[in-house]
Amino acid sequence: MTIRESDLPGVGKKFEIELGGGEEMVVVIHNTGKREVFRRSDPDADSVKAFEFSDDLARTIGSIIEGAYFQPVEPETQETTLPGGILLEWYELPPGSPLVGETLEGADIGNRTGLAVVAIQRGDAVIDSPDAETTLREGDTVIGVGTPDDCAAFEEILTE
Amino acid sequence: MALLDVGVMFAAVAVAGGVATRLGQSVIPAYILAGMLLGEFVLGRVALPSVGTVYVPETEFISLGAELGIVFLLFFLGLEFNLDRLFARGRQIGTAGTIDLANFGVGLVLGWLVFGALLPAFLVAGIVYISSSAVITKSLIDLGWIANDEAEPLLGTLVYEDLFIAVYLSVASALVLGGGDVVAAAVDVGVALAFIAGLLAVVQFGGPLFERLVATDNREFVALRAVAAVVFVAGAALALGVSEAVAAFFVGMAFSATDRVHAIETILEPVRDVFAAVFFFWIGLVTDPALFADVAALVALAVVVTTPTKVVTGYLAGRAFDLDARRSTRVGLGMTTRGEFSLIIATVAVTGADAGAFDPALAATINAFAVAYVLVMAVLGTTLMGYSAPFESLAVSWLERDGADGGGVGG
Repeated sequence: MTIRESDLPGVGKKFEIELGGGEEMVVVIHNTGKREVFRRSDPDADSVKAFEFSDDLARTIGSIIEGAYFQPVEPETQETTLPGGILLEWYELPPGSPLVGETLEGADIGNRTGLAVVAIQRGDAVIDSPDAETTLREGDTVIGVGTPDDCAAFEEILTE
Repeated sequence: MALLDVGVMFAAVAVAGGVATRLGQSVIPAYILAGMLLGEFVLGRVALPSVGTVYVPETEFISLGAELGIVFLLFFLGLEFNLDRLFARGRQIGTAGTIDLANFGVGLVLGWLVFGALLPAFLVAGIVYISSSAVITKSLIDLGWIANDEAEPLLGTLVYEDLFIAVYLSVASALVLGGGDVVAAAVDVGVALAFIAGLLAVVQFGGPLFERLVATDNREFVALRAVAAVVFVAGAALALGVSEAVAAFFVGMAFSATDRVHAIETILEPVRDVFAAVFFFWIGLVTDPALFADVAALVALAVVVTTPTKVVTGYLAGRAFDLDARRSTRVGLGMTTRGEFSLIIATVAVTGADAGAFDPALAATINAFAVAYVLVMAVLGTTLMGYSAPFESLAVSWLERDGADGGGVGG
């Protein structure tokens, strides 16, 4: 990531940010607090003004981009599609889930939902091919294989 | 009636500024024209039906407001001037600025050929040398060039010019007020340089003092104390026969090192704009357009000679910043704009004449020349920047042809 900073005497400061592929973003911060954002399609092109913000607005937008209001963190469920439409899914056991404290035999996941539990991630450890006596704990990540219907059915018993 | 005069003045510059902006032009020529039209030399020569002759006279308030305009313009120049920044790109700015000094030499020759005396030549040299920071910076922002690479050489050269003009003004006003007497002039220049040295020492060592002066969250006090410092020092300088503009520049520099520099800029910017407009209006007021006929040849000569020289030196300045032919051409076109500082230099002659130290006829001629020259160059420069594309392609095609020829000769 290359960011070039330069002074604009009497105006303010300029930041040129390389975005990759030759594209550049130029931010001019005026002494008055005004911000101007320009786009450059390649390093030799003229800057084309895209936005102009007041100081307050610029700070708010900056916080939004930084992720102060919303962060697209890893979702609780992740899925990978296997051939034939079979899904490999991760589920974190939330506090208060009816499955917490049950053994795999007691939870009877296979029969109730069709999902096959292939591994349990517990902290840094992974229990692969867990046996019937394995007890599910709060915070465990259950990794299962099944059809989309199986997965939907499991999501229901996960919280109810 | 004095209040009405001032009211008419502000109404006129407000309208003129609006019209100029609508036309995509700089406001400075518009303010000057407004002053000229409403002054004794135009409106004052027209007998209106039923009211007789009315015009805006050069009241004490207006001329004092103009003086404050000069003080605030230079104060802001000092505020935005930063020695560290200058040194950060010192080599490039030094090269670009030194090349730019060629324009001063051209002006000196031009002035000598026309007036046949050193002092007028020195003033003409300053007038044609100094580009307009205000107009160029505004055009850069309006055109979006501020985000391009041509902004650095343009603004960098202006910083060099600003420093040069600070020294120049103190010497020029000492020479003019010295009244041509070599010994008196030498003494005055000595006093001026000593005063500058004193101010530099204050800037260098008085930092904490200036810091304390504006270390308050009360905006009113920040405004009052900054205004007090700059106007008091400028007034004291003038009383000692030293350029008030230069004093204001150094006070600005002293404040630029404080933490509150942005607060001062934000708070005082409207103050500067108001008094700068008064200054431009006043320049129009005291300029007799009838004198334009006498200086027309000189103005035409200056425009024809100093436009290309600025384009060339600006182009080379761009090259000194490693820019390509197209962007260097833009630097050249941008630098052609002359404005507020040329007028301030002309004011030195007018002030000298008022003090009885300078030939009034010569002062009027130099002032008329500066005003007409600035009117042409401000409009021309702004227009050249706005319609730069054909010049850019011209420069690029010339350069490519030259490059091909050079290759042919070399091969």
